[in-house]
Amino acid sequence: MTIETITLLTIFVPIIGSLTVPLASLISKPARSAWSVLLGALTSFLPLLLLPTAFSGGETIIRKEFILGLDFILIIDPLSIFMSIVSSFVGFLIIVYSLGYIHHEENQNEYYLMVLLFIGAMMGLVYSGNLIFMYLFWEIIAICCWRLIGFYRLKDHILKADKAFLVTFFGAVVMLLGFIQIYGSTNSFDLTAMRGTMIPGSAVLLILFGMFSKSATVPLHTWLPDAGVAPTTVTALLHAAVLVKIGVYAYARIFLYTFKLPGDWPQAIPIVVVVSSLVAAAAATVETDFKRILAYSTVSQIGYIFLGFSVANEAGISGSLLFILMHGLAKAGLFLCAGIVIHATHKRDIREMGGLIKTMPITAIAFLACAFSVIGIPPFGGFFSKFLVIMGTVKAGMVWVAAVALFTAVLTMFYLLKVFSQVFLGEAKDSAPEKTKSMVFVVALLAVLSLVAGILVSYPAKLAEIATTQISWWVK
Amino acid sequence: MTPNMLLWTILLPAAVAVVCLLIPSRVRLLREGLALLASVVVFYLAYALFQVKNLEFRLPWMGQGISFDLRLYHFSSFILLGLAGFLFLITLYSTVKMKNHPRVREYYAYVFLSAALANGAVLADNFVPFLFFWEGLLLTLYGLISVGGKQSNRTAVKAFIISGFCDFCLILGIGILWTITGTLTMSQVSVKPEGLAAAGFVLMMIGAIGKAGAMPFHTWIPDAAIDAPVTFMALIPAAFEKLLGIYFLARITLDFFQLEKNSTLAILLMIIGAGTIVFAVFMALVQKDFKRLLSYHAVSQVGYMVLGIGTGVPIGIAGGIFHMINHAMYKCGLFLSSGSVEHRAGTTDLKKLGGLAREMPLTAFGFSVCALAISGVWPLNGFVSKEMVFHGALETGYTIFAVAAWVGAIFTFASFLKAGHSVFFGPRTSEVAKVKESEAAVFIPILILAILCIVFGVFNKLPLTNFIQPILEGHVEAGESIDFTAHALSLANPVAAISILCLLLALALHFYGWKRGDKKAYLASEPVHKFPVMKTVYDLAEARIFDLYEQGVIFLRKFSLALFKGIDRPIDFFYEKVVTAVGKAFTGVLSRAHSGHYANYLAWCIGGLVLIAALINMLIK
Repeated sequence: MTIETITLLTIFVPIIGSLTVPLASLISKPARSAWSVLLGALTSFLPLLLLPTAFSGGETIIRKEFILGLDFILIIDPLSIFMSIVSSFVGFLIIVYSLGYIHHEENQNEYYLMVLLFIGAMMGLVYSGNLIFMYLFWEIIAICCWRLIGFYRLKDHILKADKAFLVTFFGAVVMLLGFIQIYGSTNSFDLTAMRGTMIPGSAVLLILFGMFSKSATVPLHTWLPDAGVAPTTVTALLHAAVLVKIGVYAYARIFLYTFKLPGDWPQAIPIVVVVSSLVAAAAATVETDFKRILAYSTVSQIGYIFLGFSVANEAGISGSLLFILMHGLAKAGLFLCAGIVIHATHKRDIREMGGLIKTMPITAIAFLACAFSVIGIPPFGGFFSKFLVIMGTVKAGMVWVAAVALFTAVLTMFYLLKVFSQVFLGEAKDSAPEKTKSMVFVVALLAVLSLVAGILVSYPAKLAEIATTQISWWVK
Repeated sequence: MTPNMLLWTILLPAAVAVVCLLIPSRVRLLREGLALLASVVVFYLAYALFQVKNLEFRLPWMGQGISFDLRLYHFSSFILLGLAGFLFLITLYSTVKMKNHPRVREYYAYVFLSAALANGAVLADNFVPFLFFWEGLLLTLYGLISVGGKQSNRTAVKAFIISGFCDFCLILGIGILWTITGTLTMSQVSVKPEGLAAAGFVLMMIGAIGKAGAMPFHTWIPDAAIDAPVTFMALIPAAFEKLLGIYFLARITLDFFQLEKNSTLAILLMIIGAGTIVFAVFMALVQKDFKRLLSYHAVSQVGYMVLGIGTGVPIGIAGGIFHMINHAMYKCGLFLSSGSVEHRAGTTDLKKLGGLAREMPLTAFGFSVCALAISGVWPLNGFVSKEMVFHGALETGYTIFAVAAWVGAIFTFASFLKAGHSVFFGPRTSEVAKVKESEAAVFIPILILAILCIVFGVFNKLPLTNFIQPILEGHVEAGESIDFTAHALSLANPVAAISILCLLLALALHFYGWKRGDKKAYLASEPVHKFPVMKTVYDLAEARIFDLYEQGVIFLRKFSLALFKGIDRPIDFFYEKVVTAVGKAFTGVLSRAHSGHYANYLAWCIGGLVLIAALINMLIK
């Protein structure tokens, strides 16, 4: 298979496949579930075929001509390959977990359709080299996300789903205005043709609105904790694999790979994101709802990813790329552990839980391992990514920003250990056993992967380094 | 000896840790045999490497100057040997003490993992693998404390967060150092601590003294003394963390930064050292629990090491480093003897214990030697290293630091007189039933350590010339003598005279307190405890007012709440209330505009189109 075929399949297998899910359900329910898992597996397998290309460091651009600057362009470079592998893999694990989590719910056709479409649109967005197509996939994701958050169809949930949709849609439309402004000065939506162009500050501001709203950065973040009303699998999908990673990925693609930032923006963005990170960590410390804590923790960690990208040096960028991987694994693990706990106890307030390590030891250990990775403790993978981001920030001369980021890490340590202590240790209040094997297997796998990603860090680090060089030769 | 041998010192204990975790709890002999064998092999490896002295292992790792470099030289080989020695003794001791512990698998796994990580941290020659191992010790710290029991999680979290905070400071310091020097290879870094580099120095120093347990990063240690297994106390806070922390502090002041005698930073170090000595020893004095008393000394003694290194004069630095290894030996011995008492008597409460010397003579002997050594009694090792620190402190010209060190010496001896008198001597209490001496695996490590304390004191030439002096070579001005053995045990100088006077004072103090307290040894410290101002301070300390962690947690909570209420909730209020209200008002107006007239709608459409066109036009321009 050529690179082109593989990429097109990566995008269109899940997108078109998702539409066949209701058809598969005509055969039988297990067939539908199996078909969904198969599609997910295929989507996560296909980008792996591109790994040799990524390691050799080259860039392939595929272009299908169309009128009005709306060429369909795909950029296949280490950055997009890295991102698609991480997203589709975590997405696949979440689908496997869903088998157990969602099996007694109604509307499963819709669920699997939306999840696959979600992942497919993500693949499309990752490989897009045209701003307009990027926007299109961006909004497909918003729609899937809206349906999935309101999955249980309770009035309250639908309001939260609307909130998520409206905030991200508002951000995206503002971003679209930014795209149009860029089109005004360059007459192009083609990212590959515009590399190295300086864009006006107003366009940067408009586009940042879109990224910050999607990646839930303060002050456009509160929809994300509210979106926790969704089934836990969906929350995990939003946090770990797809949704919140879109903004940071778009940042790397648009502001690092393509455009130059004017004026004081390179100094201002790190400050904005580190404040976002701190505020979210503080909110996570105050909250008592299991999923809201984890959601704020995501907002906080996303700040680090933005930070590494925004300082735009080698250590920062490769740190942020690694962060996407490490955070994806660990945060998916945390949410899925929370899912097991909530599924079994039917409680969400951590103050009402306790002593669960006795009845669900694997979940407890997996949770702790993933928490260590999120905090950034070696030998877990999170250590390396956080370390490199901090190093990048210091190297960019922003010692105070790095200090705030490390203070945030102390807060992270504080609230995650608090959650672990309250939920899993202390006096047992429920005797809820771990039930479904597929669920426990997935969280254990994610914990192990967090560890392995740390011990064998040189492989992802190599890929991140190649991607960094590929991105930043214009910047330097 | 090939460079790969360095890797074995890390991989072997790590592999043993994994195997220990896999062996079922019931298969005791296999686990203990394997652990003992492995610790012997690690010790042999360390000994062999100590003979070799110079080895380098380099492996590319993550790019950007981050490589997996290990380097063995005289300093790291010395620490490696020390670590391996303590690993062996504690493993031997644990075969009895931890025999029936419900989480024994985890315990052995954490111990060996700690050894692997500590070896890695000592050998690392690149800051990233160094941090990898150094910070990895947080995991085993958390694990080993939590093995202690149900109540121990609080302390485990406390230890984790305090040490984590120090490690994060260290990371920032390393970042600054990397930015300044452009390299991460530890053996290539050497800068003057000025400007930004001074900040880097302070941050890295926090990392080092935080690991060593100096004030104000010590507060988890006394808590752990109650909650964690005693073998943990003997292994980690008493031995490993001291070796690592002081090793790294010495590296910072000697290698990475050129610390000058009596510079601001040197004085800062001395203040921390002197403060730690005095405050911690006063806390130690009034403790009523054997292990807790020892744990405060584990803090107080760090002060001597930090003070010694902070003097910036060769005899002080050598004294600080020598004190490190001496302290590790006697404090490990002391904790193990308290463990032996706990093992047989079932309690470490000074009030309940008494007169155990007859029934447990070997433990009592080991304890006495170690206690005299820590108090700095001639001719034991503590005397030699403390004298060196006193000399160093005086040489800087700041007599106040030497005075602080002497004050520490008075109360150290006083509190050990109290402890020894309460536990082993004095009248036999009725609270404890008749006991017998502990098993050989328990008293042998104690006796080995006691004998080493004597050897390192009487034959101080041996450690000083083999271990300590090579470290200073190349760091002193040409021609300056680094032979400290000459007057190590000499009593005929004013410094030694003052030290001996301090010991006599302590004896008098103890005797006075003992008489006042109805001849009950555990009340011997009450005169100090009840002293007017002291009492208030002690009460505040009991209420954990001075505990940086407890205060820090309160701060974190309040700070978080302020940010949450001040920023996060108002933002959410904007979306939930303001946006919806404005939206409702706006749609209200619009719905009234829905008159049903076709022409109106058309006008709306055209108006909208014009608006969008204008907007696009504006942006494109």
